[in-house]
Amino acid sequence: MFVHYAINLRDDSSLSIARFAAAYLLLDLSMEIRDLEMIYGFRLPTINPHMSGARIECIYAEPGNALKIGSKLFDLGVDLSSAFAQECPPISFFRVVLREPVFLRKLNVARGQLCELGELVALFSNEADESLSAAPVRDIRLTVAGIIHHDGLWTGNVA
Amino acid sequence: MDGERSLIELPLRLGPLCADGYNISRSGIRWLIQPGQYCRANQIFAYCNISLEPTGIRMSGPPPFAEEMELQVAFAARAAGRILGGAGAERGGYLSIRSVDVWDAGAVIAYIEAEAEPDVDLERLRLLMLAGRRMTGLADVHTGLLPGWHGRTRGWWCDEGEMPVSLLSLGICDATGVVIGEQCAFVEMFEAATAPTQMVFVPDHPLAPATPVLLDQLERKPAQFQAIAADMHRFLSDSTLAPTADDWMVSGALLSVLQRSPIQDSYSLLTPSGTVRTEPADAVLLSLSSEPQSILRHKSLGYHVQILRHHQAAAGPVFRAWLGSAFETVKRSIDDIHSDYLRLLDAMQAATGARALVINRMSTSGYEDISSYSLFDAPMSGTLSSIAAKELNLMLHDIAEHRDLVIIDVDAIAADLGGAEHLPDGIHQSGPIQAALRVEILHALEDLRPKMQLK
Repeated sequence: MFVHYAINLRDDSSLSIARFAAAYLLLDLSMEIRDLEMIYGFRLPTINPHMSGARIECIYAEPGNALKIGSKLFDLGVDLSSAFAQECPPISFFRVVLREPVFLRKLNVARGQLCELGELVALFSNEADESLSAAPVRDIRLTVAGIIHHDGLWTGNVA
Repeated sequence: MDGERSLIELPLRLGPLCADGYNISRSGIRWLIQPGQYCRANQIFAYCNISLEPTGIRMSGPPPFAEEMELQVAFAARAAGRILGGAGAERGGYLSIRSVDVWDAGAVIAYIEAEAEPDVDLERLRLLMLAGRRMTGLADVHTGLLPGWHGRTRGWWCDEGEMPVSLLSLGICDATGVVIGEQCAFVEMFEAATAPTQMVFVPDHPLAPATPVLLDQLERKPAQFQAIAADMHRFLSDSTLAPTADDWMVSGALLSVLQRSPIQDSYSLLTPSGTVRTEPADAVLLSLSSEPQSILRHKSLGYHVQILRHHQAAAGPVFRAWLGSAFETVKRSIDDIHSDYLRLLDAMQAATGARALVINRMSTSGYEDISSYSLFDAPMSGTLSSIAAKELNLMLHDIAEHRDLVIIDVDAIAADLGGAEHLPDGIHQSGPIQAALRVEILHALEDLRPKMQLK
């Protein structure tokens, strides 16, 4: 946005540039304020281009929990059986870990549940009591990593 | 025309195949192609079933192939061309299943329209011999190459005076597809290797070939097997639940494989020169992916079982209860896996002298977006599959410095071809990766060949 305005204002005086800079700072500040009040979502992402969904293998947090950077959220199981005809199920497991501090506010899934791509799995906010009436403004920042099968997973233990 | 080679049509003959003390009978020919279809050189295009009929001369010892109820021969031309069926080669009905004709080396089963090639005996078919040991005699399926349910299959090929080098495949999916191919009958390996070779395949069910399982099989005495069988029988009989058919089927299959040690199997071969009895396999193919981080060990008898999760689903409730109560879960660190590998390689070396070929693990994933490893607890190899794979791959390199072990580097091949497209779940490979792995495996067998020639 700054570049866009800078190009359009390239012939203006230094006064105009100062006005623009002030406007930009105000805009940035308002965005930070809005950021403090936002609801975030976790929608099931496309981890593998061949996947059509994933199973919630583990849930590591409960609504109301204050979560830190590095907190584990979910383990997911991605089964490519529908895309590849194999008798040995091509299942991979992934861990979803937070990259920003938030409060988990709402879980829309249960352990063992299959989710579709893009499905809203959970809602977060950066204040514990923030209203959930507003729609998520963006996806939560997270890391996805392949993990080894373990005893806590739904697949192979409950299934 | 100048610069162009003319096409010739030649008959394709069975060629010699002998079994000492037996006549070979064959069924009618069954086609795997359409009439007039163009075939690559060494592409299997037809097959027949065979059986051995005693000639009346008494041979000492058990008859060859006594355990292998599936015996077939598949055919390929030595040059590329269009294949046309010979009149009357296919008999139809049960005559294409049962052995009704004597094997006649001069019999013409098809014709080929091909370019003449100097130094190639185009009229003589290349033969892929196939043998299957059924998991149960009930598994008689009458169609296709190596049909039915087998505890061991093998395919071999050689001309007169040649002795095949043997590879035994004891891996899971990452080895299976490479060795047996898409038709589960070694045809891709046969096409890739014209040098005399035998491929032996043991499936990963009901027991997956983790090193503790293979070590147990190598070291188990008959009395120990009897104790295992008695314990299993006792649990099934004393159970408050009545065992289901699935319980008995899986128990029987498990007993069947527990009493064998595939690494020590020797083999009978039909060849153009007669029957040959070979030593155990010259090389054993393992897959690093079959090493679990925990394994079941029997609480009182001490033996290990590793049954893949999707195979456990075949069992009934009593068998699963037996696994849950009679066994304990033993965690395995990378050091433990390293130690088990050394013990297995030393035991193999002492028992048969076989070389180990090990398919390593794909150790990178395009599906991760790890920006900081500080988010994960140490040791990361206990959680993250890519870190565990890298450490296991490094472990193989450590072992290879001191033992006769060849690493089949799927990690490098997949990275080169593209993991997302060719190895989407990290274990089940595409055709191009399998073809590249076949080349690596055959290369690793090359220096085992010169020692052996038929007398």
